[in-house]
Amino acid sequence: MVETATPEVIPDIEQEQKNKTGLEPGYLVICWNDPVNFMDLVTHVFQTVFGWNKVKAEQHMLQVHNQGKSVLTRESMEKAEHYVHELQKYSLHATMERDE
Amino acid sequence: MKLIKANKERLSFQIDKKEKRALFSLLKLYPLMPAGYQRLSRSEAKSEDQELLDEALTTQRLENKRQVLAMMKAKSRFRVNKNGYRFSIKPAQLEWLLQVLNDIRLGSWLSLGSPDGAVEMFAALSEQNAPYFWAMDMAGQFQMILLHALTGEGSTQADSPPSTSREH
Repeated sequence: MVETATPEVIPDIEQEQKNKTGLEPGYLVICWNDPVNFMDLVTHVFQTVFGWNKVKAEQHMLQVHNQGKSVLTRESMEKAEHYVHELQKYSLHATMERDE
Repeated sequence: MKLIKANKERLSFQIDKKEKRALFSLLKLYPLMPAGYQRLSRSEAKSEDQELLDEALTTQRLENKRQVLAMMKAKSRFRVNKNGYRFSIKPAQLEWLLQVLNDIRLGSWLSLGSPDGAVEMFAALSEQNAPYFWAMDMAGQFQMILLHALTGEGSTQADSPPSTSREH
């Protein structure tokens, strides 16, 4: 039986690959203000998408309303994309931005 | 439209003929949001990821449209009674109905020229875009009834139309 060689992983390469595939939590999911979405709807969507309680969802909704935007979470690229898609399903104005 | 019964499996509303006609007229407009309107990022140029997001949203809209049409056709969804109809829906289905109504609301707002507030909106109102004003307002009213039914807040009836102060 042929023995399979154990792959040798060099830490730097592993780190580089991790960054390239977006596994590092370096993306901010942001919801932006608009004059048309209802506050109650925005709160509901935050609760539904992130599983937050009403108090937390309302805090972020008010931040959007009063400050023009709210950073909802900091995630890996894949997760950030997922959340943006979920928010946009409800037609909320959401984007993901690199956290620099 | 008025919530008459709610539990974990199902929500039931009393809806009269005029309201049902208005709801169906609204749903026929779906989707109203222009394809490609939503951006994945504000700071980064359009990328492959943006194309994937566009595809995902298009697929989602097609699926929503299919469900909307199925809902409008299903006689069991709207059972005739002496005051109009009894409209029944599962909580999960209510989520996509909210998505559909908000697409219509935002799409109407975009068609009105994205006005900042009520004053600007009325100033921009014309014979041509008046149907969008109707759709935006009506979609908002149905949304609030559905939201209150889901959260169990407020009265079981939308006593007054949503005011602009409740908007962002």
